[in-house]
Amino acid sequence: MTGKRPIVAVLAIVSALGFVVVKGLGNATVYFREADVAVAQRANLGTKRFRIEGIVMPGSILKNGKDTRFTIEQNGVDVAITHQGDPPELFQPNIPVVLEGHFTSATGPVVFESDRILVKHTNQYRQKNPDRVSKYTIPSS
Amino acid sequence: MRTTATMQTSGVQTSTVQTLSWLTGLAAGASLALLTVLGLFVTRPDEVQGEAVRLLYVHPATAWVAYMAFAVTSLAGLLWLWPRTRKPLWDRIAGASASIGVVFTGLTLVLGSLWGRATWGFWWVWDARGTSTLLLFLLYAGVVALRYVPATRDARARRTAIGALIAFIDVPLVHFSVKWWKTLHQEASVLQPSGVQIHGLQLFTMLFSFVAFSLVYAWLMIQRTRLARWEDELEAGGLDAAIVARQSEGSQHLIGATS
Repeated sequence: MTGKRPIVAVLAIVSALGFVVVKGLGNATVYFREADVAVAQRANLGTKRFRIEGIVMPGSILKNGKDTRFTIEQNGVDVAITHQGDPPELFQPNIPVVLEGHFTSATGPVVFESDRILVKHTNQYRQKNPDRVSKYTIPSS
Repeated sequence: MRTTATMQTSGVQTSTVQTLSWLTGLAAGASLALLTVLGLFVTRPDEVQGEAVRLLYVHPATAWVAYMAFAVTSLAGLLWLWPRTRKPLWDRIAGASASIGVVFTGLTLVLGSLWGRATWGFWWVWDARGTSTLLLFLLYAGVVALRYVPATRDARARRTAIGALIAFIDVPLVHFSVKWWKTLHQEASVLQPSGVQIHGLQLFTMLFSFVAFSLVYAWLMIQRTRLARWEDELEAGGLDAAIVARQSEGSQHLIGATS
């Protein structure tokens, strides 16, 4: 009388897990699109909300009241960003970031409006060293 | 303190286990103390992450211990399932390791959340690493919960073993999630082809944290496995006798169905 019950229970658990993995992880696995991929898919994305990834280009950060403007770059493709709100502490030039928001339009100049910056730090760790010689830069004449 | 009498009757091994427990506990305590000194005072802040980098000396190690604990659970489960190696010890080890693994997975999630807040800027994100780790926590919490469902010892052991083996599928998913999919979580810093990405003393401290937390795991395992044996011994006279008595009262097909 109890013979079939465990099998039904196991099947139910396995299918529930399968559902979680496919739905939950399926979304999680495309957590963001790289800037070049997003620009290539621009026609499809339109003004839909998604996450975009790129490296903050040095010298591009401009703060203006509540707005922060900067450019991210990935595989040679640049995207201009307008961000509403304060960027997080670790936000700095040359750091990879993931931004939540949308393109302002499907055509014309590429502008991404962001309202959430996630700093995607790398897997590299280096201790601060006050004695380390900083990178030599050629003085401008 | 009801177990005291049983403990003293349970044979010659007790004093050896006691010594082992004491030594492991001492080693775990000493290495945690040294890790604290290394992690908080000797190592310096990181160039990018600043003070937040000190989580490098706890978060990866707790995750590693969780993986190890679930590997031990699954192996012990297999040894119990295979008739030739079946003995109660494997089930006690599986149960002990599963619950310790759940605690360490929980720690990994909490420490990861703190690190996420400090670096990414958010307590939680639904990326593949975080999501699969949360799944791992829930899966093994389920396995541990299964052990509290009233059943005979054999049924409980079989459920634990099968549950642990199913849940273990998620371990490689967690580990390789950062490689297979786009995650906010960074890729591995040590186990990866382009070489170790961590500076000398930071690397040493991180690897040392693996040793320290593994010793904590070993110490907890000794305590939990021993506790499980005392519980079994306590039950042996009580519950099992009651079940057998109840079964012999019942009809023939009931005995067949529960075997």
